[in-house]
Amino acid sequence: MHIMEGFLPVFWCVVWWLVALPCLALGVYQLKKVLSADREALPLLGVTGGFVFILSSLKLPSVTGSCSHPTGTGLSAIAFGPWITAVLGAIVLLFQALFLAHGGLSTMGANTVSMGIVGPLVGWGIYRALRDTPVNLYVTVFLAAAFADLFTYFTTSLELALAYPAQVGGVGSSFVVFMGIFAITQVPLAILESIILVLVFKYIVQLRPEILVRLKVFPEGKIMAAGRDA
Amino acid sequence: MLRRYRFEILAVIAILAFCTLFLRVGNAEFAGSDTVGSSQIAKITGIPEEQFHPLVWQWVPPSGEVESTLFALQAAIGGIFVGWFFGYWKGLKEQERERT
Repeated sequence: MHIMEGFLPVFWCVVWWLVALPCLALGVYQLKKVLSADREALPLLGVTGGFVFILSSLKLPSVTGSCSHPTGTGLSAIAFGPWITAVLGAIVLLFQALFLAHGGLSTMGANTVSMGIVGPLVGWGIYRALRDTPVNLYVTVFLAAAFADLFTYFTTSLELALAYPAQVGGVGSSFVVFMGIFAITQVPLAILESIILVLVFKYIVQLRPEILVRLKVFPEGKIMAAGRDA
Repeated sequence: MLRRYRFEILAVIAILAFCTLFLRVGNAEFAGSDTVGSSQIAKITGIPEEQFHPLVWQWVPPSGEVESTLFALQAAIGGIFVGWFFGYWKGLKEQERERT
């Protein structure tokens, strides 16, 4: 999902950095607020952020004959919302740009928008839509995580299509081509990732349901019921 | 029992199913989708890939081995956080149990 250093024209580098920066600023602000309000939020941040680190380092082969990696941003988006998740995503992307030559500093704005902002925002939107409905809590986590992953790659495809419209068919036909490379590869990975994240969420519900209740991640009754059930 | 561990069972099935997908693919290259994406950019623009230069200077790991070390390091850092805090929660729970 990384757009490699040098593969995005200067104009689009600037555009995506300008989109990413205010979101990151809001994320840092929210992060400070959450952590000063409740010290017990830190372990949850560590666990959800840790999974962004782990899962985005795993380059898995896929059915299309190429490799890609999950994003792991779903849990953090559910627990802390998309803006704090953007900060976590940016930390991972910075590590990868500096030490792994995956993505780069000029394309980091675009990569932050896809992995840190749009993906988590979509996942969070699905979670918010389902949170107070009778839909099972684990199903909600699964869907949010899967869509956070898929929409990351959807966004990368869109970013590349906008920067490189095809001579015939323009942005639309470029988008289809890039979706073929990024998004189709991603479908099995997104499903696998989401099942793993559901499992992790189950362990959080078992070990520390209090923090999920306090941060109002899900209604208390739902969390307690899930804890008894698991 | 089966219900209690349903997600663990589901995860194992999903991982196995994921692995079996590749029994059929045969000798595909499994290059990174980032690389495939970059070649596609070269194809659309008609500019060879070698002519795309970094806009900002970038350190590149000297070999695939070094790169895989650093990737492992990234996963390890994440693992430390996850393990540390799950351990912390586990400890808290034990403590609460002893108190009551």
